[in-house]
Amino acid sequence: MDFNFTEQEINFRNEIREWLSINLPKNITQKVRKYQRLNKEDYEIFMKKLNENGWLAINWPAEYGGTGWNSVQKHIFEEEIVKANAPRVVPFGLNMLGPVLIEYGSEKQKQYYLPRILNCEDWWAQGYSEPGSGSDLASLKTIAIDNGDYYLVNGQKTWTTLGQYANKIFCLVKTNTNCKPQEGISFLLIDIKSPGVEVKPIITLDGEHEVNEVWLTNVKVPKENLLGEVNKGWTYAKYLLTHERTGIAGVPYSKKAIDHLKTIASEITKNGLPLIKDPLFSSQIAELEIDIKAMEIFNLRTVSAASEGKAPEMESSLLKIKGSIIRQKTSDLLRKAIGPMALPYISEQFDEGWNEEPIGPAYAGPIAKQYFINRKISIYGGSNEIQKNIVAKSAFKL
Amino acid sequence: MHFNLSEERKMLRDTIERFLSDKYSKIKNHYEYSTLREGYNVKIWNESSDIGMISGLIPPKYNGLGGSGEDIMIIFELIGKYLCVEPFLSTGLMSSTALISCRSDENQLLDDIISGKKIISFCHSEIDSRYDESLVKVKAHKNKNIWHLDGTKSFVLNGDQSNIFIVSARISGNQSDKNGLGIFKIHAKDCKIRPYNTIDGYRCSEISFDSVPGKLLCSDERAYKCILETIFAGTLAVSSEAIGIMQKCFDLTIDYLKTRTQFGKSIGSFQALQHRMVDLMIEIEQAKSCVMLAAGTYNSEKNIKYRNISAAKNLVGRVGKLVAEECIQLHGGIGMTWEYNLQNYAKRLVMIDHLMGDSDHHLEQFKKYSKY
Repeated sequence: MDFNFTEQEINFRNEIREWLSINLPKNITQKVRKYQRLNKEDYEIFMKKLNENGWLAINWPAEYGGTGWNSVQKHIFEEEIVKANAPRVVPFGLNMLGPVLIEYGSEKQKQYYLPRILNCEDWWAQGYSEPGSGSDLASLKTIAIDNGDYYLVNGQKTWTTLGQYANKIFCLVKTNTNCKPQEGISFLLIDIKSPGVEVKPIITLDGEHEVNEVWLTNVKVPKENLLGEVNKGWTYAKYLLTHERTGIAGVPYSKKAIDHLKTIASEITKNGLPLIKDPLFSSQIAELEIDIKAMEIFNLRTVSAASEGKAPEMESSLLKIKGSIIRQKTSDLLRKAIGPMALPYISEQFDEGWNEEPIGPAYAGPIAKQYFINRKISIYGGSNEIQKNIVAKSAFKL
Repeated sequence: MHFNLSEERKMLRDTIERFLSDKYSKIKNHYEYSTLREGYNVKIWNESSDIGMISGLIPPKYNGLGGSGEDIMIIFELIGKYLCVEPFLSTGLMSSTALISCRSDENQLLDDIISGKKIISFCHSEIDSRYDESLVKVKAHKNKNIWHLDGTKSFVLNGDQSNIFIVSARISGNQSDKNGLGIFKIHAKDCKIRPYNTIDGYRCSEISFDSVPGKLLCSDERAYKCILETIFAGTLAVSSEAIGIMQKCFDLTIDYLKTRTQFGKSIGSFQALQHRMVDLMIEIEQAKSCVMLAAGTYNSEKNIKYRNISAAKNLVGRVGKLVAEECIQLHGGIGMTWEYNLQNYAKRLVMIDHLMGDSDHHLEQFKKYSKY
C-alpha cells in the first residue's frame, strides 16, 4: 500500500492546476462559485480551450483524439476541474456517446461524429428515459418504423439534460415489439433540427431550467444514423452506463462542499460561539468528514485497480449509492448550518451581473436551492434502488 | 499510489491464514473454546510464534519482522476472521508497543514476547476511567528507593495468564493530569487477580495492588505518550479485527439467505433483504477503506496518525453495530441461538466498540486532532 501519489502524478496535477489558473476565464469561475446560471457559451468556451490543449476527451483513446490517460490521471483531472470552479465538461457527447461510437460505430460514423464532438460543432443530448420508462428503461415506447431508406420515429423522451442547447440527440427506440423488450431496441443518432422534433423545458423544484422533454412526431431518420446493428441497442446502452464510471461517487464535489461547510460553520455563531465549536453540530460535520475520507479511499482503490487493468463492475454501483448519499448529506448540513438564512429565494441573484445587496451573507443564497436540486443525485443515472438490484444480481447471485 | 500488498506481506497473510484456518476449523463454538481456564490455547500461541505471527507485530529494530500499520492490519483482520483469542492484542501488540515507547531497557521482555515465552498485559483502564487516557487513580510511591503501587486496574486482557504487568500509575498531580504519570513493570505473582469471562468470549481480570513493588520504566511526558501510543496501536488492531469479523458476518448471512427458503423460495430472492445486504456491503467497504488509511499512515506524524486511527475506530463502531444487528435480524431466530456461530462474531463486533474508546469517544478525538 502507498497512499502517496507518485512524483509524476504530482507533476501532472500541478500542470493541470496551473493551466486551469491561466486559461479558465474569471467571469466563468465566478459564476460557478456563486451558483449562477451558465449559458451555452460558458460551457463551450471552456471545452474549446480544453480541446485546443488536447484535454477534452479524457475517456477516449489517443488515436481518436482522446488523452489516453489512465484512470488515476483522469481522477486527478476531474478533481482539479472541480477545485478550480470550472463548468462541468458536458458528458453526453464526450463520455457517453463517444466511447460507444468508438466501440460499436461504423468507420464512417466515427470519422464524421468524433471530430465534431471534439470541436464542439455538435452538442449531444441523451434520449433514454421516457415518461413511462424510468427504472424500467427497456419498457420504452418510442418506436422507429423501417420505411426503406429511413426510420419513421414517434415517441417522447424526457429528463433530457441541457437539451435546450443540443443539436443532436442519441435515442433508444423500439424497432421490434414482438420479442423480449431488451431484444427489440436500437440506438439512433437523431438531428434535433429535423422536422417533428420539439424540445420543451421542464422546470425543476429549484426553479431552474436544466432538463427538457423531447417530442418526436413522424421524424424521418436516415438509415445511416443507426449505430451498430439493428435491435442491439440495449447492449450499447448498457456499455454506455457501465463505461469507466470511476468518477461516479463525486468525491471532489463532496470534498469541496465539506470545506465550504467548515468555513461557514466557523463564521456563523450559535450562543456566541462559532457553530463549529457546538458539540452537536460539529459531531455531525465530523462524522460526515470521516465518511468522505473513507469514500475517497474507497474511490481511489477502485481507480487504482482500474489503472492496473481491473475494470470496475459492481464497484461503480456501490460508489454511486454511497457517493450520492454523502453529497446529499453535505447539502443537508449546509442547509442546517445557515438556519433561517436558508429562507430567502431571490431568483435574480443567480443571473450574471446581479449586484444588489444579498439578504445575509452571500454564501447563504444558493444553499437551500442546492439542497433541493441535489435530491436528484440518488435518482438519476440509475436510481440507488436500481443500483442495489444490479449489485444483488451480479455480486451475491441471490 | 496503490493499494496492493507487497509480496512479503501476501506471504505473511497466506501463512497466517493457513495456520488459523487449520487450527480453528476444529473449533465448533468459539465461546466455549475461549472460556477455557487459560482463556486461549497455549499450543496455538506457541506455534503462532514459530510462524512469525507475533514477530509480525514488532519492528525489526526490536528483533521483530514487521510492526508497520499494514502488518498490524493484515494480522488482526485474520484474527477477526477466525475469532482467534490468543493474546496477540494484550501481549503481542500492546505490551510490546508500551515497552518500545517507554524506551525502557527491557529488551529481554520483548524477546520473550516474540518467542511466546511470556504473557504480558498492559494495565491502564480503571473501573471508572471510561476511555480517558490520563485518568489514573492507581498510586505509585517510593519507599526506601523502591517504587510501590496501590489501587486496582480493570478490564485487563489475559490478566490471569500474565507473568508481567505493565501498569500506568500516578506519581503526582490530580487524577486527570497528563503529567505526573509513570509506567511500571510489575510481577503478576505479587498482585491479587480476579479473573472473569467477557460477554464476547475473552478473559479479563481485575488486578489489585497492595503496596506491590515495581520498576519504573518511564514517567511524565514520556509516560503519557506511551499510554497514547499503546492505546492507539490497540485501536488500529481492534479496528482491523472488526473488518475481518464484518466480512465473516456478511458471508455467513449471504450463505444463509441462499439456503433458507420461505414462501417456496430462497429468502435471498426478496428485494427488501437484498437491498439491506447491499447497504452492508457498502458500509463494510467504507470501514475497510478507513482502516486502510489508518494503517497506511501509521508512521506519519502524531496528529495525522491519531486522527486517521480515530476516524477508523469511529466508522468501525458505527458500521460494526449495523453489521452485527442486521446480520442477526436477517438470520431471524437462528441468529439468536448460542449454537450458531454468528452470535460469537456479532458479540465481538459490538464489544469492540467498548474497547479503546467507542465511536463517540473517537469522534471527539477526530475533532481534536483535526483542530475543529
